Amino acid sequence: MAVYKRRYNPYTGSLTPEWSRFFVLTRYAFADLFKARFFVVLLVLSLVPILFFASYIFIANNKTAQLLMQLRSAGLFSVENQYFIVIMMVQTQAAFLLNCWVGPALIAGDLTNGALPLFLSRPFTRADYVLGKLAVLGLLLSAVTWVPCLLLFSLQAGLATDGWIWSHLWMVVPIVLCSAIWILMLSLISLAVSAWVKLRIVATGVIFISFFIPAGLGEMFNAIMSTRWGILLNFSYMFRLILAKGFRERSGLLGSFGWDEIPVAAAWAVLILVCLLSLVILNARLRARETVRG
Amino acid sequence: MMNPTIELTGLEVQLGGRTILHGLTGVLKSRAIGLLGPNGAGKSTLINTLLGFHSPSKGSARVLGLDSFTNGKALRSLVGYMPENDAFISKMSGVRFVRYMAEISGLPPAQAMERAHEAFVYVGLGEARYRPVGTYSLGMKQLAKFAQAIAHGPKVLILDEPTNGMDPPARKRLIELIREIREASDICLLLSSHLLRDVEETCDEVLILRNGQIASVCNLVEERRANRKFLELETIGAEATFTSTLEGLGCECAVFTNGRIKVVMPDSVEIREVFRVAADIGVQIRRMNHRRDSLEDIFLNAMEQTGAADGRI
Repeated sequence: MAVYKRRYNPYTGSLTPEWSRFFVLTRYAFADLFKARFFVVLLVLSLVPILFFASYIFIANNKTAQLLMQLRSAGLFSVENQYFIVIMMVQTQAAFLLNCWVGPALIAGDLTNGALPLFLSRPFTRADYVLGKLAVLGLLLSAVTWVPCLLLFSLQAGLATDGWIWSHLWMVVPIVLCSAIWILMLSLISLAVSAWVKLRIVATGVIFISFFIPAGLGEMFNAIMSTRWGILLNFSYMFRLILAKGFRERSGLLGSFGWDEIPVAAAWAVLILVCLLSLVILNARLRARETVRG
Repeated sequence: MMNPTIELTGLEVQLGGRTILHGLTGVLKSRAIGLLGPNGAGKSTLINTLLGFHSPSKGSARVLGLDSFTNGKALRSLVGYMPENDAFISKMSGVRFVRYMAEISGLPPAQAMERAHEAFVYVGLGEARYRPVGTYSLGMKQLAKFAQAIAHGPKVLILDEPTNGMDPPARKRLIELIREIREASDICLLLSSHLLRDVEETCDEVLILRNGQIASVCNLVEERRANRKFLELETIGAEATFTSTLEGLGCECAVFTNGRIKVVMPDSVEIREVFRVAADIGVQIRRMNHRRDSLEDIFLNAMEQTGAADGRI
């Protein structure tokens, strides 16, 4: 079927492995994303704090720099678990904002003009489709959360003395695990919203609402029922709880709640439940053909 | 032995609590199959079932020997599908859209790009390939859908109302392309259309559905062959001698009023023999028609049949 011949010829060349085809979606989505200047600016801005965190670690481990800057208090610079919690809090918020921009357009663009049957009429399942879209957010949000966090950890491990790395190696697990659950939840929520709402601005609004409205309802529930379990509907708080427990940080992070007031298993269960609910929505919306009951 | 193109075994499909396809059974062996039927007959449901989008509540459907549900992925790796409704990504340029779809079908990026360009030029959209698909006219969108269906070189081409929204020249061009693809390769074609002419021009076998049941199956190749031997004549002159001479050659003749004669010729007799006999006897042939039991007749007959069909061919 060479262009100049204008004749149809069947394709007889090699094929890519089936397992790798979901990544075609990811590749195309990234190509589209990087065409938008706003996205590039947002991505760069979300990585700017990392420079400050890295500078802090450098100064904390460099006596000369401290002397030059006339900083005398040795206790002022401490890179411990609290510091990594701060990094995680800042970067997960940046991930939230990135997700609000990128997520809503991922599936809606395909659904608006009925392109889904074209994907699903190929050797490509709905799971492949979701995986391909999920990989976009997974890679992107990883690039602003646990990846730079681990790089900072490595920087600190490299600069610190006295076997800092061995006494703090356990922090790798909460860095990865806490980021993973946050990324998974954000990605699935925004994919579910994208499959439901076609307009980007509305979808972004719905993502915000899905975080703030349940939190408000939870507070109402607490006030009416004189309980504190309504906090389970505050997903950000549940994440903070997991973060605090993961980093063994008792002070400040949990607000007015006590260390053992809400079990961390409940927080995990809530976030996993949100992920499952999003998957149910995706399962209902991502159909090659809609069936009207009646 | 080659697998039949489509094999239906008691296929029943229920959607939204309603039975749409009622136990369809049959084997379609031709390489180009037309799917006809009025709105709501179940054509699109049958196509969607063959693609594995709907699961049968009873029975099974096979395409080239592969079960549409249990071997769905393997089957879809052979298929190029052009849906009836809008199906595109509006912000993508035409060629990128086709390349994207080809890559999802498994073509490596470089080959996908090459085939996308070739497919676009082949369908006649070469000049518009860098424009976003959303800016295309309805006919151009149809061609873009067709391009994505053929770019990865499928073995089965499923076209659902391919000429919808096309002007006559574009329709003619698309039908020519379909015929060309059919003849240039060993591709199997399943074409659903409301336009009987589209089916007649591209298909060898026609499956007519009515109320989710098989109303008729017609092998157009055999039909065309049979029709070539059926003549309607209007004559002036010695009809009796003329018909008896033709009968002597092995023809079957029926004489009507005003010199009208219907002749069924055996395979051994050519039309020139009829002219020779008429000239010898001095009969004037004022009019000669090949009887043409058109697809429209077949379709209308199938629709007029009363009583519930049993869903079998």
